[in-house]
Parts: sequence; C-alpha cells; structure tokens
Amino acid sequence: MPVWLREHSWRQSLTAVYLSLPLRGARATAANIFCSEQYLKVSIPPFLFEAVLYAPIDDTNSTAKIGNGNIFFTLYKKEPAMWDSLTLASADKEKLQHLRENAVLKAQEKAKEETEAKKITKQEHKKYALEATMKLEEAERKRIEDLKEKERQKVTKELELWKNQQKDGDKYKSIQTKEELHQEIEPLKERKNEKMNKTRIPSEASSKTRLKSTRGCHGSCSIFSQDLKEEQLPAPRAAATIKVNFTPRVFPTALRESRVAEEEEWLHKQAEAHRIMNSDLSELEDLKEEEKNPDWLKDKGNKMFAMGDYLGAVNAYNLAVRLNNKLPLLYLNRAACHLKLRNLHKAIEDSSKALELLTPPVPDNENARVKAHVRRGTAFCQLELYTEGLQDYEAALKIDPKNKIIEKDAEKIRQLIQGTMQSS
Amino acid sequence: STVLGPERPQVVSHVQQALSYTVFDCKWVPRSARLMCLGSAARGTGVIQLYELHGARLEVLREIEKPKPIKCGTFGATSLQQRYLATGDFDGNLNIWNLEAPEIPVYSVKGHKEIINSIDGVGGLGIGEGAPEIVTGSRDGTVKVWDPRQNDTPVANMEPVQGESKRDCWTVAFGNAYNQEERVVCAGYDNGDIKLFDLKTMSLRWETNIKNGVCSVEFDRKDINMNKLVATSLEGKFHVFDMRTQHPTKGFASVSEKAQKSTIWQVRHLPQNRDIFMTSGGSGSLHLWKYEYPAQRSKKDSEGSEMGVAGSLSLLQNVTLSTQPISSLDWSPDKKGLCVCGAFDQTVRVLIVTKLSKI
Repeated sequence: MPVWLREHSWRQSLTAVYLSLPLRGARATAANIFCSEQYLKVSIPPFLFEAVLYAPIDDTNSTAKIGNGNIFFTLYKKEPAMWDSLTLASADKEKLQHLRENAVLKAQEKAKEETEAKKITKQEHKKYALEATMKLEEAERKRIEDLKEKERQKVTKELELWKNQQKDGDKYKSIQTKEELHQEIEPLKERKNEKMNKTRIPSEASSKTRLKSTRGCHGSCSIFSQDLKEEQLPAPRAAATIKVNFTPRVFPTALRESRVAEEEEWLHKQAEAHRIMNSDLSELEDLKEEEKNPDWLKDKGNKMFAMGDYLGAVNAYNLAVRLNNKLPLLYLNRAACHLKLRNLHKAIEDSSKALELLTPPVPDNENARVKAHVRRGTAFCQLELYTEGLQDYEAALKIDPKNKIIEKDAEKIRQLIQGTMQSS
Repeated sequence: STVLGPERPQVVSHVQQALSYTVFDCKWVPRSARLMCLGSAARGTGVIQLYELHGARLEVLREIEKPKPIKCGTFGATSLQQRYLATGDFDGNLNIWNLEAPEIPVYSVKGHKEIINSIDGVGGLGIGEGAPEIVTGSRDGTVKVWDPRQNDTPVANMEPVQGESKRDCWTVAFGNAYNQEERVVCAGYDNGDIKLFDLKTMSLRWETNIKNGVCSVEFDRKDINMNKLVATSLEGKFHVFDMRTQHPTKGFASVSEKAQKSTIWQVRHLPQNRDIFMTSGGSGSLHLWKYEYPAQRSKKDSEGSEMGVAGSLSLLQNVTLSTQPISSLDWSPDKKGLCVCGAFDQTVRVLIVTKLSKI
C-alpha cells in the first residue's frame, strides 16, 4: 500500500497554479513525476501523490522544481480562470481510472510525436550538412578548373606569339638572305678559289668567324655556311660490317619477364619428350613400326600372359614402359607376371608404381586399383609379411566391398596372423 | 619523390585532331609551327600529312600518299634549309623526301628485307659535326647506317653472325657525335638486348640484356660526349644508364623504374633540358621524369677500376590522355614544352607542358 502524500499546499493566480509538495525525506528525480493535461502524479515508492486537476493545464510549459525536500510545481492553466479547488471534487474510482488511462495514453502519444519531430529535424540537419559539404567541394573543384583554364589560356597566347615571331622571322630571313646572297656571291667565289689551294684547317677557322659575325640571322648564315660546310663534311664512311650475336632465345616472340616461367616449363616438357624419343631411337632402330607403340606392346604382353609365357610378357611390358613410363596398366600387368614368376619384390614394386600412377582415386580406375592392391597383398603374403598383405587386402575391400573372394582371402590372412600370434 | 604543389609542371592539352588513318610517327618540322604525321591508311597505303598549328586548331597543309605504309621518320640528317624528311616504310624502303616536291624521293633504297621499325638521323639541322647519317633498324635483325650522299649501300651494317637466328630490332638511336669522327649507334631488340656500336672503330662497344623487349632507346643528347641513355621496354619498365663511365665487366651503371603495368612505347628527352624526359605508355598515359645526378658520378671498385654511379629519378607529372597506347612522341626543338603525340586511337594531340623552366 502506497503512502499517500497529502500535506500539499497550493496557491493560484489567474494563469498559473503553484503547488508545493513536501517529500517527507524521500528523494525525487524527474522520472518520478508524471504529468499530463489534467492529471498529476508523483510516485516515489513507497510514497504516492496524485491529483486529478480541476481544469486542464499546459503540461509542456509547466515546470517542477525539486529541492529542499520539496517539489514545487508551476502549472500554467490552459484557460485563465480561478479554480475552486486544486482537484476535481467528484472523484469516483471509475472516472479516476479512466482519467488516469487517458492521461497515460496522451503522454505516450506526446512522446511519440516528440520522437518523430526529433527525427525530422535530425534529417534536415544532415541534409543541410551534406549540401554544405557539396558546395564546398564544388567550389574547390571550380577553383582548380579555373587555375587550369588560366594556364591554358596563358600558354595558348604565348604559343600564338611565338608562332607569329616564327612567321616574321621567316620573312625577315628570306629578305636578308636575298640581299646577302647578292652581296656575298663575289667574295664567296673568291674564297672558294683561295681555299682550293689552302689546307682545311684555316678555312674552317674562317668559316667559323663568318658564323660568329652573322649570328643574328640563322637562316642566312646557314646558306653560305652550308656551301662551305659541304666541302668540310667528311667523306662517307668506308663501308664496314659488324657481326652481331644475340642473347639466345628459342621463341620468336619478344621477351617478357612475366612469361619467363611459363616458357621455361614448356621448354622443359619439350626436352623431356625429346629425350625419351631420342634415347630409344638409337637402340630400337631395328624394331618394326608397331613394336614402337606401347599399346600394341601391352596387348602383346597380355596375350603372352594368357598363354602362360610370363617371361615374354615381362619383356613386352618392359619395352612398353621404356617408350612410355606413364601408363599404369603396364606396371599392373607386369606385377601379375612377376607374381606368377614368383619375383615377389618386383611384383610389389610394380604394383606400388601402378598405384602411384593411378592417382587421383576415382571410380574410373577402381578396377585397376583393386587389382593392384590384391596383387601387392598376395606378394606380401607370399613373403610372409601378413600384416602388410592384410593392409592391402583391406584397402582393396574398401574400394570394392562386394567382392567375396577378397573378403574370403582377407579373412584367411587374419586367421593366419592370429595363428602366428598365438603360437609366438 | 615528386615535386609538390602548384609548382609542378602541368600537361595542358592544346589541340586534338582525329585522323582517318593509323598514325605511327609524328615529328615537328624544325624551325616552324608545323608537324608531320606518318602512318598507314586503311587501304594499305602510306600517308604523310603536314599540319600547321593555328590557334586551337591544326590545319592540314599537305597530304601525301605513298604506296607502302610508313612506320617512322626523322629530320635528323637534313639541313635547316632543306628540311628533307627521311622515312622508313613497312617494306624496308628508306626514302628521303623533299616536302615541296614529294612525288619523287630525293634518295631511295630498299635497305631491308622487312619493315623498318625505327629510324634516326644525325649531323643535320646545324647540330653537331660530321657527316649527315641515317640509321635504320628492321625486323630482319639488321641495323644499317646510310649516308645520303652514297647510293645503294650502307656505310655500316650490323647484321647477325652467319647461322644465328635473327631477332627483331625495335629501336635505334645515334649518340656521342661530338666531333667529326666519333659516333655511336645504340640498338634495342625484342629479346631484351641493347647493343652499342662504335662507328669510329666499327666494333661492338657494349651490350646488355634488360630482360624485356626494348621498345625505345634515346641518348639525352646526340651531339655531346655520351652522357645518359634511356631504354624503355615491355612490362612498364625503363632504365637510365650513365654513359660517362664504362666498367670493363659491369658496363654502365643504371637505375630503373617501373612506371606502370603496360609497355612503355617511347622516351623523348626535352631538347632544352637534357635531364627531363617524357615516357609514353601502352595505357595511353604520359609520364614526365627528372633525373638527378648522384653526388659522385663515378667511384672505384675493389680492383681499382672506375665504375659509374647511377642517380635517381623523380616523377614530375603524369597524365592519361587516351585509352589506346601513345606510340609516338616528339618535343618541339623551338618552343620549350610544346610537344606532339600520336596514339593508336587515330588521334594526334598537341600538348603544352608548363613550368618547365622552374625545374
């Protein structure tokens, strides 16, 4: 049960109501005060004060001052009139309840409106800020553009000036040269005759002084200096050849650093292929054409195996392997031959090589892999290395779990192992 | 390191001209505001166009058609009066044209069996001394030096040894022509070889391999004791060699830079400042560089022989003008900062680079 605070005192003017509420020692904050248009509540557990006001007030502008163990409310009336009392007289429970609820609803609505308004103002501020920055950036850009434009115009003007200078210069030159030519032709001829007798060096010097004296007009001086120069120009060189060696490069394309790795790889592969071809060619010159084909040799080997000629089959497979050492089936079949020939170590070797070449393990080479494991397993068992043999049989079973024969054999090996273990 | 702020040179695009043919080379006509564009028309013939700069436009003065597409041209070996243009075409012909009367060439020779990729001239334009000579580099693996006064046979021929398979020669440049006798030719090949031939002694003076096909070589000046050589290549790299000190085994010191991912098609030094040069790239960009010399240009190695010390490079400016490679570039020898470039988007652009005097 809350403790009602009833010792409040109030006074009023035409426009405002002043309410003073002593707190009896409790401390109040803004959160404890709830106020709406016609309802005022102060709740500081366990204390409670509520008032349904006589007339509506302007709750946004009204204030509450907390201090000195007292809350001092300044409530501005909506309609300036003198109140008979602070609270409404008729205060039955339902009405009170109703009023309270209304008050709460109203308060909530107000709160919502406030947040809305806040959001809107925030957005407007953002927009404004954005526009401001955009303007600044525009201004900056414009400034730079203007600078560039100014440069451009300045430079264009200079160019025009220079061009006109050139034109004038040309005209001046052509006039000058005509005059000078007339003037100088006579002494020029004399000089030429003189020079015929003199050595080169003095004439060089004289032409140089000429050049210096007529420095102003390039064009004109070049006319007669040209004539003089022609005589001073060294004769065309004696024709000669320089032989050139290039840094070797196999490819006809240009050298690029980024491609060097690729090119090396390609060359390496080519070299390998060549090597195989070449190493065989020398020894196998007397072989027939078909005997150089690994597939044909494999077939031959298979036939010989079927007929029981195990040595012959091994020979055929050997030759095939020399021609192409990347075919797993050759090793697989040779392993079978070795098993028959009781070359157990060789059988293991070949089965292992076959398995190596049968990577990656895919459904396509399942068959071959099973065979390889079985053959190797058999060889191990015949060497009495039963654990290794079992490993291989189990690998074979893993690939092909439905094979009864392998299962039976694996079981047999297990028994053998257990048997030896028991006996040892 | 870059030069910061408003003092950086700016590359201002002055004029853009769309062409109806593929332009392979563009050159300023010396002592004028005129420029040449050389290339290949759609119907497989060669085009030479002469333009004049008028304000913000390029005006066509002359258009000349030749039977074979033209790859490269130079004014380097002609006098200032004559201003004859030497061109190399797709068929291996070297021709020298008088642009006033272009119907018949002043000099013509079928110098190579395959396309002439690059051409350079020296001894003309009142620059340097010695005989005017033209060098051409071709896909047939040979580099030949011609004297316009001698018909039919070259005065120097750098060809592969008998039996050696040929490599494309992509670029040639003259250098070291500081007196009448001295001259070198530098050639770059598609397998990354750079070879320096001394024409005075008719021998190979130096060679190296920069691991990428060499697109363009240029000395900073043709007519001085060779000072710097820039070689650009595929894969966005270029090397600057200090040519003043040659070590007996290590050759010339160099500094290299990877400017971009695509091929660097051309390098051109500013005629008015030999330490500034521009590279043009396969991504349609131009980069302006400055070379800074080291405190000591040479030092002694452990055995006491002199070896060069390379300096450093700084990027002054870069700009992207096109989406296609800019394959040709030329500075105007008369106006500092004025340059023309031709790109494979069939456009020739005249640019002005500002503030170069402040560098």
